[in-house]
Amino acid sequence: MGSRNAKILIALVVLCVVGGGVYVAVAATGPSGTETDQQPVATDVLDQADLLVRAVDPQKPTLNGGVFEVDDGKVHRGGDLSCERVYYAAGGGICMGVAPSGVDYTGTVFNEAMEGVHTIPLQGLPSRARVSKDGKYGAMTVFVTGDSYLESSTAFSTRTYVVDMATGKVADQLEQFKVTKDGQPFEAVDFNFWGITFDPDDSDHFYATLGTGDHHYLVEGHISTKEMKVLRDGVECPSLSPDGKQIAYKSRLGNSNRWHIRVLDVATLKDHAVAETRSVDDQAEWLNDNTLAYSDGKNVYTVPADGSGEEQLLVRDASSPVRLEEPLIGRETGGNRAADAR
Amino acid sequence: MYQVEASKALLKPRLWFRRPDALRVSRNVVMLGMTSMLTDISSEMVATILPIYLVFSLGASPLALGAIDGTYRGAAAVVQVAAGFMSDRFRRHKQVAEAGYGFSALGKVALVAAGNSIGGIGAIVAFDRIGKGIRTAPRDALISLSSTRDNLATSFGVHRALDSVGAFLGPLVAFGILLVAPARFDAVFFVSTLFAFLGLAVLVLTVQGKPWRAPRAETTPPSMGRAAGLLKDSKFVLLLLAALILSLTSVSDAMIYVGLQRKIDFDPAVFPLLYVVTAVAFMALAIPIGRLADRVGRVPVLLGGFAMLFIDYAALMSDHLGYAGLIACLVALGAFFACSEGVLTAVAGAALPDDLQASGIGILITVVSIGNLLSSLAFGALWVTIGLQQAVIVFAAALALALLIAAPLLVRSQRSALHG
Repeated sequence: MGSRNAKILIALVVLCVVGGGVYVAVAATGPSGTETDQQPVATDVLDQADLLVRAVDPQKPTLNGGVFEVDDGKVHRGGDLSCERVYYAAGGGICMGVAPSGVDYTGTVFNEAMEGVHTIPLQGLPSRARVSKDGKYGAMTVFVTGDSYLESSTAFSTRTYVVDMATGKVADQLEQFKVTKDGQPFEAVDFNFWGITFDPDDSDHFYATLGTGDHHYLVEGHISTKEMKVLRDGVECPSLSPDGKQIAYKSRLGNSNRWHIRVLDVATLKDHAVAETRSVDDQAEWLNDNTLAYSDGKNVYTVPADGSGEEQLLVRDASSPVRLEEPLIGRETGGNRAADAR
Repeated sequence: MYQVEASKALLKPRLWFRRPDALRVSRNVVMLGMTSMLTDISSEMVATILPIYLVFSLGASPLALGAIDGTYRGAAAVVQVAAGFMSDRFRRHKQVAEAGYGFSALGKVALVAAGNSIGGIGAIVAFDRIGKGIRTAPRDALISLSSTRDNLATSFGVHRALDSVGAFLGPLVAFGILLVAPARFDAVFFVSTLFAFLGLAVLVLTVQGKPWRAPRAETTPPSMGRAAGLLKDSKFVLLLLAALILSLTSVSDAMIYVGLQRKIDFDPAVFPLLYVVTAVAFMALAIPIGRLADRVGRVPVLLGGFAMLFIDYAALMSDHLGYAGLIACLVALGAFFACSEGVLTAVAGAALPDDLQASGIGILITVVSIGNLLSSLAFGALWVTIGLQQAVIVFAAALALALLIAAPLLVRSQRSALHG
């Protein structure tokens, strides 16, 4: 290398170090930008529904949004929790979202005062959160991407964790459960599990989705035995009704990433469509034995479970609807009601 | 021995390390290693955060990610044979490599400028893949042509070690930036671009385009017919066959990691550490193994490297595997990487005529990547149909057979390389 080239190279290195340093320093002093201060707006449809939702910034739906209670058409901020997926039952909740660093994800286990009590580091992007009706178990599904050092592949996979809500620790991982299909052991390298729903009468008993190849099987399992069995194909993100008799789920349209919500009878495994005709990528929530709530990622809607009627906007700029058995936050704080409820 | 070295030294370019028994590789090799290291820091920075960025900032579905990456892998394979031949034909290894590195650097600029659309990201991943396809064969040819026939494996070892340092540092730099500037992905892209251009600058400013073994200008450049003739040259064809057979029977590291995770109930948080342990082992072993290969012979080291996979296969077949076993598996995997790819390229470098280095290496890389792809598909299919344990048994038996077949092929290839 000529000494002239050496000088040019040294100059370039200095320039890059200074330029990069300045850029990063300026970026470091700017706002963090992992959180939105968007407020959801409740409509006056279904005044009796008492919900927990998380706020969605319509421009940036993946930013963490505040957790709000929607009660009698009013919204109240629940503590300072902020996340992308929320669920709650019987005194304990899970709030999954991006960590303050913007690169890691965490699940926060919170109590009935909406205060975070445990933090669980997540392996990837929040996908689904559930808590069993008795508050014993929580379930979290995450998308795992980018765990690649030598392999530059960006193929995704999922992990589904069972959380012991009392200790805030991961108790099990569905990937380690045994699966049977038609009575035979069933195993494949591309197994992915997502979307647990707990039996309301027996939190040890659950349903979930097993993805392998082009199949999306509904599986039924028990946490105590760490076993699952395949029930049928074409069922994703199952959600059991409060009486445990029906499962709302998303049904994939061909091989696309578009889904319709359908409802399945647990006893007969027969299913039917609901009135919502748009694609919905959500694990539906039952408001009662006859009514579903779900989000398109921007707003929360409701539709009758029996296929009748039509969908209605429930909460604007919100997702992750959770039915509350009783109000969490006192009614004395102010809220806002939508003037133009649709 | 010393006299031989001394007389050769007259022909050699300046050596980077001068102690007689120390690492003896050309400065060109070290500089090409620096180029790869800086470029790898740059691309690994982006690769690490791209999935998070796409989903977090753009709201893309993670399902879209796999599609973006998979689409462009094939394109790179086609480009590398063509780029290899072009650099031999026009005797412009350095310029073609520069074009490849330049492509990737421009892709990073585009990321800073227009990184907020899925289509834009797709185009950038394409740029990066094509750039990698273009640069690999001419760069490896330059490494080969900058080495003596005695230190080829050491040279590739030094290059691969530096390269893996880059792959290791990239994610650290990216996370470091996001630690001080949370969620500022633009800062990561900006710094990544700087690294890409520094890599290119090291190549342009410090690497000699006509190393001492490069064909002289007065000789006739190779025609396409002569390059195609490589496929009739028995010593090269034997090597290709051996490489294909071995790559067909080796399970990809990604599959091994998933298998190990199924075997041991380790904390999922440990998963990324598997890559780290393997990468560190690879980094630490690449140079000593390269030197060993130059001393005791490349073929035994190459075969020994593939035999390392038996350790991992045995672990995947066993019922109980503790953390000590897991570490042993990962170190064996790192040793496999250190003994296989770089040493194989060194074997090729020794077998190929000087004026067809890039063409031959381009063909070899393509054959190996086809073998790896087919092996992954076959292993995945076997895993689904007959289960992990049985799939590993099939692959272990196949690898044993492959080693038995490849050994004489490689020995014969070497022998004709010496006398031919």
